[in-house]
Amino acid sequence: MIRSLEDVSRLAKEKGPKKLAVLSPEDEEFMLAVKRSWEVGYIEPVLIGDREKMDRVAEKVGFDIGRFEKIEENDRQTVSDLGIGMLFSGKLSIVSKGQIPTSYIYRSVIRAESKAGSGMTVSVMSLWEIPGVDHLVAFTDSGVNIQPDFKAKAEIIKNAVFLYHLLGFQRPKIGVLSSQRGFRETMASFRDYKSLRKAAETGDLGECEVVEGVSFSDIFLGPRGRMKSYGEIDLNRTPHVILVPCLDTGNIICKLDLFLDVKRCSLTVTSKGAVCIPARSDMSDSIEGQIAMGVVVADRMEKEVH
Amino acid sequence: MARSFNEIVQEAKEGGARKRLAVPSVKKHHLEPLSRAAKEGFVTPLLIGNSKTIKAMVGNSPLASLPCEIVEAGNPAAALQQAIALTRDGRADILLQGGADQKSFMNAVLDAKTGLLKGKLASYASVFQIKQVGKLILATDTLLNNFPGIAEKQIIVENALGLASLLGMDQPKIAALAAIEQVNPSIPSTLDAALLSKMSQRKQFGRAVIEGPLDMDCALSQAAAARKGLQSIVTGNADIYLVPEIETGYQLVQALVFFGKVETAGILLGTVKPVIPDLPFLSDDGRFIELALAAMVSNKGALHG
Repeated sequence: MIRSLEDVSRLAKEKGPKKLAVLSPEDEEFMLAVKRSWEVGYIEPVLIGDREKMDRVAEKVGFDIGRFEKIEENDRQTVSDLGIGMLFSGKLSIVSKGQIPTSYIYRSVIRAESKAGSGMTVSVMSLWEIPGVDHLVAFTDSGVNIQPDFKAKAEIIKNAVFLYHLLGFQRPKIGVLSSQRGFRETMASFRDYKSLRKAAETGDLGECEVVEGVSFSDIFLGPRGRMKSYGEIDLNRTPHVILVPCLDTGNIICKLDLFLDVKRCSLTVTSKGAVCIPARSDMSDSIEGQIAMGVVVADRMEKEVH
Repeated sequence: MARSFNEIVQEAKEGGARKRLAVPSVKKHHLEPLSRAAKEGFVTPLLIGNSKTIKAMVGNSPLASLPCEIVEAGNPAAALQQAIALTRDGRADILLQGGADQKSFMNAVLDAKTGLLKGKLASYASVFQIKQVGKLILATDTLLNNFPGIAEKQIIVENALGLASLLGMDQPKIAALAAIEQVNPSIPSTLDAALLSKMSQRKQFGRAVIEGPLDMDCALSQAAAARKGLQSIVTGNADIYLVPEIETGYQLVQALVFFGKVETAGILLGTVKPVIPDLPFLSDDGRFIELALAAMVSNKGALHG
């Protein structure tokens, strides 16, 4: 069972190197992360982007990229299409975002899934490693679906359940968030929670459990709970997966890692492999951890799918 | 300027006469923070409900020997009605939800004719004490309005600026949050944030500066914002976080409480007197701070007219 980012890093070293396409590593932090990931044996990179910029940042971080495959391309959508195309044609098993807005990548993945006829909804999982919690916690969808309805949420949960099965959790617990308060009208997110709980009970979301409650307060204190002091908080009640009601909520909360004592790692699992989605503001240590997660997921998908 | 919860307590204590606190249907778990505030000398609780039950409850608590009054009311609905009336006509300075059921409480407070609304819209602000930055931070609206439009957000900002001013923030910096820092017509929160930002540029919020849209990494960290090519005095140094809607606001506060153990308190804004709803995720310390915050606001008066 993979419970921590340390487990991820250990396994990535064991299972690597894997071929990974990096989309526009044109910034020092991204290039440094690629350099370190190569040095520790996670990956063998294929570098796609502006040749001049890539050469310049590689030199700055002291990385000899002469030995790696490079594809010169300046148009960002084409950069993304090329990388995702290689993933879907089986030429490599992981793609990682570089210094390029994520929307280009989502567009490429959505087109590729549609062409492959996989029926897979594209969603992003931002995993937190929280001290005191014995598993990684995924916030989803933190990247693609702006205002998912019940049907989209069901697919988003299935993607997360798929990931947790790969990480070794047979029956992950899912928390479905809604900001339903007793004094306002019923919110769509609350109706979705009710329906998703039923869907989980009948097995429609895969092997998983939707836990009772729609807020962190419900989850940690129970529906009528209260606390005298924060010492009463038991973080081990944190579900494996937290389904957020909308993109704003997911993205805003998952980036609290910059403030809290947690580490974040974001990825998309496609039908053909993993796509690492570091934020454009992430530093090299964090990006390296996210690449390691991509390697582990790709390795487990190879075993699962083939 | 209050930079910590202790300073809020200090200001509450230095504010003159004890504030009268209307508390309908008090429950046992309210007594600890009420006793603390009464002992510190800045409130006199008016406990409204069945006097026999209240006397029995208070008799075993530290409140028994502190300034405290009991107001008879036959049932919870009458207690709530009386609490609202006392607050509206000035016999109480602050209203607590106490043990009143939340739906009845909010409906009563927000009733356009008989409630405590000052203008068209009330909102709620959470106050956090953030040790890392050595100052207090506000987040709004984290309880009341579900999906405010731009007109409502303008009022929510103005309400928060009223509180910021009472806390002594001179030129508040506001991060208008969204999922991304770019303006994307498909993501409504980015449009609202951009408009508010433009309004602030045109000085429609006085000296306050609103930057938006900002995603959370840009709002929290100047370094993160710089990597995305964003320069602003707000990034990494916001005083007020404006959330796009309630789905984010309500959960954001709780994420900070449960995952970050960040102390929080909160207060309704846009009411004629300070009002404190009863939220499950506050600690006794947080509840005590809320009383001090409400007393401070009541002292300074301006916010609630």
